[in-house]
Amino acid sequence: MNAVTSLPEMAPATAEIFLAVAGIALLMFGVFRGSNSLRTPGWLAVLAFLVAGILVVARTGTDDAFFGLFITDAFARFAKVLILLGSAFSIVLSFGYFERERKGRFEYPVLIVFATLGMLMMVSANDLIALYMGLEMQSLALYVLASIRRDSLRSTEAGLKYFVLGALSSGMLLYGCSLIYGFAGTTSFAGLASVFSAEGGTSVGLVVGLVFLICGLAFKISAVPFHMWTPDVYEGAPTPVTALFAVAPKVAALALFVRVLSGPFGDLLDSWQQILVFVSIASMVLGAFAAMVQTNIKRLMAYSSIGHMGYALVGLAAGNEAGITGVMIYLSSYIFMNIGTFAIILGMRRDGRLVENLSDLSGLSKSHPMMAFALMVFMFSMAGIPPLAGFFGKWYVFMAAVQAGLFGLAVVGVLASVVGAFYYLRIIKIMYFDEATQPLDARVGGDLRAIIFGSAVITLLFLIAISPIYDKAQQAAISLLGA
Amino acid sequence: MYSAIVFLPLVGALIAGFGGRVIGDRGAQIVTCGAMIVSSVLALVAFWEVAIGGRTFTVDVLTWIASGSFEANWALRWDTLTAVMVLVVTVVSTMVHVYSVGYMSHDASIPRFMAYLSIFTFAMLMLVTADNLVQLFFGWEGVGVASYLLIGFWFHKPSANAAAIKAFVVNRVGDFGFALGIFGCFMLFDTVSLDVIFAAAPEKAGTTLNFLGMQGDALTIIAILLFIGAMGKSAQLGLHTWLPDAMEGPTPVSALIHAATMVTAGVFLVARMSPLFEYAPIALQVVTIVGAATAFFAATVGMCQNDIKRVIAYSTCSQLGYMFFALGVSAYPAAIFHLMTHAFFKALLFLSAGSVIHALSDEQDMRNMGGIWKKIPFTYAMMWIGSLALAGVPLFAGFYSKDMILESAYGSHTGVGQFAFWMGIAAALMTAFYSWRLIIMTFHGTPRMSDEVLHHVHESPKVMLIPLAFLAAGAVLSGWAGYEWFVGEGMAEFWRESIKILPDNNSIAAAHHVPFWVKAAPLVVGVIGIGLAYLMYMFRPHLPGLLAARFRPIYLFLLNKWYFDELYDWLFVKRSWQVGVAFWQGGDRAIIDGFGPDGVSAVARNLAARAGRLQTGYVYHYAFSMLIGVVALVSWYLAFGG
Amino acid sequence: MVVQALVFYLFAAVAVASGAMVITSRNPVHSVLFLILAFFNAAGLFVLMGAEFLAMILVVVYVGAVAVLFLFVVMMLDINFVELRQGFIRYVPVGAAIGLVLLAELLLITGAWTVAPGIPNAMGAVIPPAADVTNTHALGGLLYTRYVYLFQAAGLILLIAMIGAIVLTLRSREGVRRQSILVQNARRREDAVEVMKVTRGGGV
Repeated sequence: MNAVTSLPEMAPATAEIFLAVAGIALLMFGVFRGSNSLRTPGWLAVLAFLVAGILVVARTGTDDAFFGLFITDAFARFAKVLILLGSAFSIVLSFGYFERERKGRFEYPVLIVFATLGMLMMVSANDLIALYMGLEMQSLALYVLASIRRDSLRSTEAGLKYFVLGALSSGMLLYGCSLIYGFAGTTSFAGLASVFSAEGGTSVGLVVGLVFLICGLAFKISAVPFHMWTPDVYEGAPTPVTALFAVAPKVAALALFVRVLSGPFGDLLDSWQQILVFVSIASMVLGAFAAMVQTNIKRLMAYSSIGHMGYALVGLAAGNEAGITGVMIYLSSYIFMNIGTFAIILGMRRDGRLVENLSDLSGLSKSHPMMAFALMVFMFSMAGIPPLAGFFGKWYVFMAAVQAGLFGLAVVGVLASVVGAFYYLRIIKIMYFDEATQPLDARVGGDLRAIIFGSAVITLLFLIAISPIYDKAQQAAISLLGA
Repeated sequence: MYSAIVFLPLVGALIAGFGGRVIGDRGAQIVTCGAMIVSSVLALVAFWEVAIGGRTFTVDVLTWIASGSFEANWALRWDTLTAVMVLVVTVVSTMVHVYSVGYMSHDASIPRFMAYLSIFTFAMLMLVTADNLVQLFFGWEGVGVASYLLIGFWFHKPSANAAAIKAFVVNRVGDFGFALGIFGCFMLFDTVSLDVIFAAAPEKAGTTLNFLGMQGDALTIIAILLFIGAMGKSAQLGLHTWLPDAMEGPTPVSALIHAATMVTAGVFLVARMSPLFEYAPIALQVVTIVGAATAFFAATVGMCQNDIKRVIAYSTCSQLGYMFFALGVSAYPAAIFHLMTHAFFKALLFLSAGSVIHALSDEQDMRNMGGIWKKIPFTYAMMWIGSLALAGVPLFAGFYSKDMILESAYGSHTGVGQFAFWMGIAAALMTAFYSWRLIIMTFHGTPRMSDEVLHHVHESPKVMLIPLAFLAAGAVLSGWAGYEWFVGEGMAEFWRESIKILPDNNSIAAAHHVPFWVKAAPLVVGVIGIGLAYLMYMFRPHLPGLLAARFRPIYLFLLNKWYFDELYDWLFVKRSWQVGVAFWQGGDRAIIDGFGPDGVSAVARNLAARAGRLQTGYVYHYAFSMLIGVVALVSWYLAFGG
Repeated sequence: MVVQALVFYLFAAVAVASGAMVITSRNPVHSVLFLILAFFNAAGLFVLMGAEFLAMILVVVYVGAVAVLFLFVVMMLDINFVELRQGFIRYVPVGAAIGLVLLAELLLITGAWTVAPGIPNAMGAVIPPAADVTNTHALGGLLYTRYVYLFQAAGLILLIAMIGAIVLTLRSREGVRRQSILVQNARRREDAVEVMKVTRGGGV
């Protein structure tokens, strides 16, 4: 056992190590500073994300670390950049909220840093245990974040629900992992891949273990039928936390999903494809229909994200290079339109209080024309109206599904997006055609405005950048599947 | 120059229509009238060169449609027939344009009116100069649209809107036949070019065509289909119902479109297609019968109408019937001759009627007129000239053309020809009767209008009277002047290739040799008719009422226009309404909406509500559903996935 | 070998039985006590396998710290489990059905258990033979070198749990007296003691 006595390779994980150290340092800084102001630790966390992002992007090629538990490749880098962007944005979003509610706590950015670290570890996981560790690190931090407004009943309820159900899903995931380990004798992805590629390597137990694993992961991306927590948690959690939930963990969990299924279980495509097709269809349809009757915009966004995960799963279900490319493009467009939308929701205040009903948007086009325009851009994009960002995501995943021969899935997807367009357009209708009963507050914070503007520009001009994004996404897919 | 004749009205219409706000009412009038005057002067020159000078040629404008073997060029075909029509159209149109300046002076949207008039003229010219059937159809539809716009010009009047829609819809029926006829031509001849069709027509005589599952003589079918189109446009019996209603439009419109030009398009079409019709004897018989029936029918109805414009409208209808049975007996030149003279005297009558209406503050009911001939002597004189021409009194235009038609019908020595002749004689009697009935009721007797209106009665301004004078000159002189060229000795040289008559069918030649009583009969019945009118309305005013009471069913039958409108309403409008309602309620509402948008949205709402209800908020429900999900997926895999 | 087998079955049976008692007993304190019993038996099983370090750790950490802490918490919270189980009956049929289906499926799977070729070798390589290195040494090598990544991650997860517990529960209440050593040390005699001249019979 020479390996045991020598130090492991650590360089590929520089970004994660940095973020872990930065998180602890930030915690110390917060504790000894003794102030509850959010801005300084918040910006420091954003800085940490920036540095981590640079460290991520600085690496090239595919390397593993920690005796094969950790892997970094083009796919991981793509997902990590998206995650870091989402986390950084959601910290910036929260400044105004916590300052106004006077509930600022320095632990908030610290927890986000650790959650983000967990997400990065998920994306880079190359072993079932590493996968689980990353997942739990992320989840635990998110449970706490959901109930960080401990004096609010809704916030604590959201946190508790999330925690209990999350624990259940973790249990399923672990059970699945143990089944897989029991039948395959290894937890490492590389080992699993070699077991499955060998003749007679698969067995019923393995695939059932895989089903459990898929269920656990489906919970994290809130795919039907493991979506039930999403609307309640989205509604109950403080809005900046909801914004975080809607973006970074979704990217991380989906990336992990992609890595697990197309990596070690790639040879079992036939087995998991039908499950994914079902989950994807169910998510798209439920997301589209259930969102129609919502009156709370945060709940609506929850169903919207369920639907979006369904669309992204279409690409994964295709199981080919085009599909994974599509998923990555989908996620790229997804984070910007979501961040922008949540920034607008955070800007909806009346008499200083946050309002979150759809009807409160009425007359927005008159009181805040620019905001209304930006929201219209986001809604059109989510509905998949052509030149906007959301269209490309849908386009590539549906094309991949068609390429893989999943015509039914593609057709249902298109139909669901038609239904989905209904409620997105309804928001636009409310903003532009309904009379306002009471106008919203005129002042919207500078941070929010900057984020709304930035997201809107990116969503609008996605068309211009589509070529480099497509190249990167394709590299990511190739790094995962091999050329 | 030849293009300018056609396109000048279009230019005028565009300037007046789009620039009306800029150039104002006066500007629009000047532009459109100016364009028309220039155009009509050029048309006169063209008539001289083409018809008298004997030139036949084609002016290419541009390639319009080229698709496979289907090719339609935009070209102006100039031959005698075209030159005559162009002359008639431009001259009458110019008169009406000028007249409108006075008549419409109180209207709020003069530029629009002038633009419509000009656009109509352009479309009409397009029609008569067409070198192929498609272009002809374009002009055909163009005049239809212009007619619709002009009938509904006072769109704030519901009756005007209804009349406009009726005119358009009834014309559609005819247009459908026309379009089918064009398709048939293309099928048979593989071209829509008139020259090629005419050249090939003799060879194709006797070929059969499969239409609606029936075998039939190809040329006959095509000719009848084309004739259906002509029936619609020329208000022949069956498709005539729109014409009287079209009198809702301003009176100059009635004069221009519904008397002088557009309604004669059908006559023109059949004359233009004479090389085709000549080889379709059955079609010619159909044309004769329909024409004769229309002449008789319209005349009977005309006797009982009380609206001054409707009387003239039915008279128009009747005269068109004359033209058609002339066509039917192969007397195309006579038909065109009558078309020309009719255009002058009917426009004159209409414009005079308009002058009367103008004088009587927009009163149209003859029962509210009377006793005003001393106040508007000029109009009175014009009305007389027009009526004399209409009734076919010697030396006036109608005499030459109408007698020619009747003589041709008699001279054709066919059964249908005889039928047409006697119908024509009867119609001539009635024509004279109702014309003088109109004059007497309008101008003589005791005034029956209110004192206020009577006080206001005045002669129309000069701008209205001068066109009347021009038209009166035409009504007097055109018959005498044109007789030699159109139907006299110089006929063959005049028409040359533009009209084709098979030697066997040459009824006009025969018309010169009919017995004297045939020649005298129209005049005699005309005089009788005039006498009757004087007797009943001038000397024994109680007589009409007595007759109406005595023969009440017949009177009502005539007054209600043979119940055609009611019949159509019951037969087509009600049925199609029912079909529409059935499709709307049963098809659209129940099936398409039910399963389509409404159904989908209802299902969507339902699903959405259910999906919302699943969300109970209890953690253990959620946990349970997750477990069920896991078990379901595992079971699914075990059942199907292995 | 016979003795070993007998002892194994004894420990195993008691462990399973006490595990069952943990979830079935009505009194929560009894549940915790059964839990402790289960831990002890598990430790015995470890000893049987030669993993004496793990056995001792289990006793020290789980029995000595965790379970006792648990016991205190249970006794302090005074949870009425009977109340918690209300509504349980309502869901028994559905729950039982789901459970049965799942059980049947899992039995089906384990019935078809085949160990993939080459797996025993792979598994054997992880654990060093006891003769070469000590138990503790081997564990340390695995934990701090081979799986250092997971170890550190677990540490961070615990840190997050700690932060979470503090964030969610720690609150600074008004009116609570806290010890401040700085203030205590900075206190001078003059601040605390006042010397008064008391006149006889006059009082303060």
